[in-house]
Amino acid sequence: MLKVEDLHAGYGSSEVLNGVSLHVKPGQLVALIGANGAGKTTTMRAISGMLRPTSGRVLLDGKPAQGMGAARIARIGLAHAPEGRKVFGPLSVEDNLLLGAFSRLPHFFGFHAQAAEELQRVYELFPRLLERRAQAAGTLSGGEQQMLAIARALMAKPKVILLDEPSMGLAPVIVQEVFNIIRRLKEAGITLLLVEQFAKSALEVADYAYVMEHGQIAVAGTPAELNKNEKVLAAYLG
Amino acid sequence: MLKRLLLLRGAEIILLLALAAVPLLVNNTYALGLLTLLAIYGILLIGLDVTVGYLGQVNLAQAAFLGLGAYAAGLAVTTLGLGMLAALSISLLVGLLLGGLLAFPALRLDGPQFALATLSFSALSTTVLNEWESLTSGAQGLSLSRPTWLGLSMDAQGFYWLCLLMLAVVWMVMRNLLGSQWGRAFEALRDSPIATDAMGVGTFRHKVAGFALGSALGGLAGGLYAFNFQYLQPQSFTYDLMVILLLGVVLGGRKSLWGAFFGACLIVLLPNLLSNKFLFELISAAGLLLAVLAGVRAWLRKTAQPFQILAPIVAMALLVVGGLLVENTENWRKAIFALMLFSVVVGLPDGVMGYVAKLLTKLLRVPPAEIAATASLDSVLPVRQGDAAIQLELQNLQRHFGGVKAVDGISLTVRAGQVHGLIGPNGSGKSTAVNVISGLYAPSGGEIRLLGKRLPSGSLFKVAREGVSRTFQNLQLFGELTALDNVMVALKGVYRTPLPLVLLGFGRAEEQRAQAEAMALLELVGLKAQARMAAKDLTYGAQRFLEIARALARKPVLLILDEPAAGLAHPDVQVLIALIKAIHARCITVILIEHHMDVVSELCDVVTVLDGGKVIAAGVPDEVKRDPKVIKAYLGVVQEAVSPEAADGKEVPAC
Amino acid sequence: MNMQIIAQMVVSGALMGSVYALIAYGFQLTYATSKSINFGQGELVMLSAFFSLTLLNIGVPYWLMVPGGLLFGAALGLLVERAGVRLALQQKSEGWILLTIILGLLGFSSAENIWGRDDRPFPTPISSDALHVFGINITPLEISVAIGVFAIMGLVELFKRKTLLGKAFEAVSADRDAAELMGISATRTIMVSYGLSGMVAAMAGILISPITTVGPTMASALILKAFAVAVVAGLDSGFGVVLIGIVLGALESLTSFYVGSGWREAPGLVLLILALAVRPNGVFGKATIRKV
Repeated sequence: MLKVEDLHAGYGSSEVLNGVSLHVKPGQLVALIGANGAGKTTTMRAISGMLRPTSGRVLLDGKPAQGMGAARIARIGLAHAPEGRKVFGPLSVEDNLLLGAFSRLPHFFGFHAQAAEELQRVYELFPRLLERRAQAAGTLSGGEQQMLAIARALMAKPKVILLDEPSMGLAPVIVQEVFNIIRRLKEAGITLLLVEQFAKSALEVADYAYVMEHGQIAVAGTPAELNKNEKVLAAYLG
Repeated sequence: MLKRLLLLRGAEIILLLALAAVPLLVNNTYALGLLTLLAIYGILLIGLDVTVGYLGQVNLAQAAFLGLGAYAAGLAVTTLGLGMLAALSISLLVGLLLGGLLAFPALRLDGPQFALATLSFSALSTTVLNEWESLTSGAQGLSLSRPTWLGLSMDAQGFYWLCLLMLAVVWMVMRNLLGSQWGRAFEALRDSPIATDAMGVGTFRHKVAGFALGSALGGLAGGLYAFNFQYLQPQSFTYDLMVILLLGVVLGGRKSLWGAFFGACLIVLLPNLLSNKFLFELISAAGLLLAVLAGVRAWLRKTAQPFQILAPIVAMALLVVGGLLVENTENWRKAIFALMLFSVVVGLPDGVMGYVAKLLTKLLRVPPAEIAATASLDSVLPVRQGDAAIQLELQNLQRHFGGVKAVDGISLTVRAGQVHGLIGPNGSGKSTAVNVISGLYAPSGGEIRLLGKRLPSGSLFKVAREGVSRTFQNLQLFGELTALDNVMVALKGVYRTPLPLVLLGFGRAEEQRAQAEAMALLELVGLKAQARMAAKDLTYGAQRFLEIARALARKPVLLILDEPAAGLAHPDVQVLIALIKAIHARCITVILIEHHMDVVSELCDVVTVLDGGKVIAAGVPDEVKRDPKVIKAYLGVVQEAVSPEAADGKEVPAC
Repeated sequence: MNMQIIAQMVVSGALMGSVYALIAYGFQLTYATSKSINFGQGELVMLSAFFSLTLLNIGVPYWLMVPGGLLFGAALGLLVERAGVRLALQQKSEGWILLTIILGLLGFSSAENIWGRDDRPFPTPISSDALHVFGINITPLEISVAIGVFAIMGLVELFKRKTLLGKAFEAVSADRDAAELMGISATRTIMVSYGLSGMVAAMAGILISPITTVGPTMASALILKAFAVAVVAGLDSGFGVVLIGIVLGALESLTSFYVGSGWREAPGLVLLILALAVRPNGVFGKATIRKV
């Protein structure tokens, strides 16, 4: 579903990604782990178009998507729940959700009806969001904002969801909740690329994982393989 | 060195002498009038360039200051009967005071609000000049006769030489000012107001000073204007004139005295240009040719957007074609200015002189200015007392953003001479905590004490003044300034010469000392060879090191390094580690925010670990790394024997 | 001090002030999505008014002229965005300030030459015979101005709150990057905001033309007032502009009557400078958090 080939990207004169390649098959949950500064978030941004790659290819469902702007990539079926959540603070929870589906809804009127089905699904998954549907998103707690960011990505009925550091800044109990949601998404057959600091939690839910170090993939394998791998630990502490 | 001096000063002197000699060689009152006006507009544009070029703001009030200065001088003569010297001093003062007064509200916000405030001031001035008829005779106009200068009456020639003299004085004074720490401060605050404040250089006070100065020059030009025409009307000083002034500054070249002069030439010759259709067509065609050539060059080198290339060509083409089709170019004056200004803003942002200066520097092989010999590092950064006394204390610090508690009750103690690590997963509140300490944000609760005294809150400038210096997670360099200038902006304790003496050129000695000290710091971070490079052209690693050198220039009591290794390649990380050790060897207290565990372990005496806005562990790095809470926070797993970092025996030198 | 006269002044001034508010409202639309405003908006008002007058003069019926004029205003707004704003925004500079000033100047010069420098009357089917309401004279024309102002502001608010594109507007102004991730093109949204802003300006032109007559300088005084209202209320204050606009209009009317007609401009200008000194974000505006 999502294939990344030899991706290079950076900011200004510094190159952060030195040739990243990975593959997410339909229905898989693939984890991208590694120490901070390894380039995980940069990889996500280069895939979703927030950052323009300098070279390499990104293929979404077989079609090339590198170099397109973020808005276009979103419209062809890639949803990115970014690092730091980035919910639309002044808008209500429900408005945030509706906007998540922007690319497939009519822009003027009639969107409520068309979005109703997906909205209901999302509210079932995240009852707390239903409670707070009219509240301004900026007033939600960190964990609730993370739920909202994930729900917003779901609304687009995307082919692939990129989840960037969903556990960031959240208390452990909330992190548990978030990962439960992620597990449920996986069970529902949604294709996910997950970037996480918490290697263990990520490896518990993933089908396959890539470990990044210094802008490249250092190790890749199934969670079982990686858990025994010493290089993984080294990549984290070194 | 001599060659450079000769070429630069020589050119100025030749220009001055040539201008002064004209009335002696040519007997043409019309030409004399034009040249007088040239000198006056030269002063006016130099003043405008301070805000537009150096501060980088759109100033729409300069025409108003011209008018206010003119009326002030006129009234000084008609109602107070003062002589020229006194009257000119009054117009200068009026410009200075009103400029300063306007600057206070206008400069609290940048960009559009500032432009609007200056626009309103301009409209208000026109209203006052029109309506206060008892004073100004309103729309009827004010007549005056040229007063005597210290008893001597002046003819047209004498007055011209006076204006020229004024221009020369203004030129010299401004050159001294803009080449001093003031000029650097103006440019710094344009590139990064946040960093300027954080380096202890008050953004606001410098903006006000710059603006007031520019307005003072506007006022002075006004006084000369009044004595030139000897008749004043409010409608001469409106928005129409302002646009022409902007055209002059932008076309001539911003941040350049020569540019202001060239712009003044353009303004003075403009009416002639418009009335002579043939000349107009010639110049428009030349402009079109230039636009096409520049466009092709930029397209081949891929240095510009398609719009930047096409728009000037279209605008100039419109000028050429329009000039042929239209009967009377005078009627289309404003459109012509608009098209010219448009082409220049989009296609030639450096202005004519900016381009010419670069060209000439290459052609004539003008050597760059010499840099003073490097000072010894000990004289710049003396070794401090590392007595481990309590330096910084945070007590239950809080900072909330809406519903998110970024910092939720942090208490810690930083001791003098130590490198204190602040670590934690993303989003744990490290950067926010440090932003609160350094004054970017005010705390939502809790206390911060530096050496027992409460730190001022919510003001980068005030905190910097207390001796706290910092680098930024996202670089905040002064991009357009050289590496050397970046460091010099922040230098503390060197610039003692009072402003009036700086204007007269007495600041040179301390400039040399500042350069020497800055070079020592650049040498420390390994950037001595890049001293003359613009900061934006440095490699990413070099930029990170430059920010540290700049922060050290503050000779800080407490240095905060916010993720200095972020994005650094492995070899650069090693250089960074060595650098921080060198800083530590001087017993400078450091708070280090970092992710890289190897950096933290090697450098820190003490570490505080944050998670979710709270402190979860604190102590010596080795202990903290084995703390199960810390491991869980970082890896999400409770593991037993995590192999400790291979201790390579290098101890962090004690202080 | 005749209360009736004061009331009269206040009401007619307030009506004029509502037009300032309308234009200020237009500024907010573009500021919300791009933190930029069109400094040549006055010329946009004036050009739309001239265009509408031309439509009427060639025989277009009044009710058709209005949408025609509005479309013209929208088109000009799009032109301003493309030529004056987009490049500067891409470069993250404030060059649009100078560029929109320049475009305004170009518009002014063109208007002078195409339509001449004289003021022309603007025909309207609405009567100017004064009605007496509570002892105050008010013409149906003035009432239509108030209705027009609130109608179009209402329409735009409806757009912003009830349509998805309107919500996208808010999203782009809240967090541009996140909005792009939803498939919302920030560039297109900014284009729409400028088109809408142009439309609002055209409406203002059509509304006041019968009262002020149409001429190249018709909007230059008007626009300064609108700036003052926008800044004093805050460039993100929503309906705060209406309140401030009405207050300013009333103040001007009173100043003109009691101090002198030439001083009419003063309250707005002084208010602007004072407001900037005391509350730079505007009376109703919101403060922003700096990020490093």
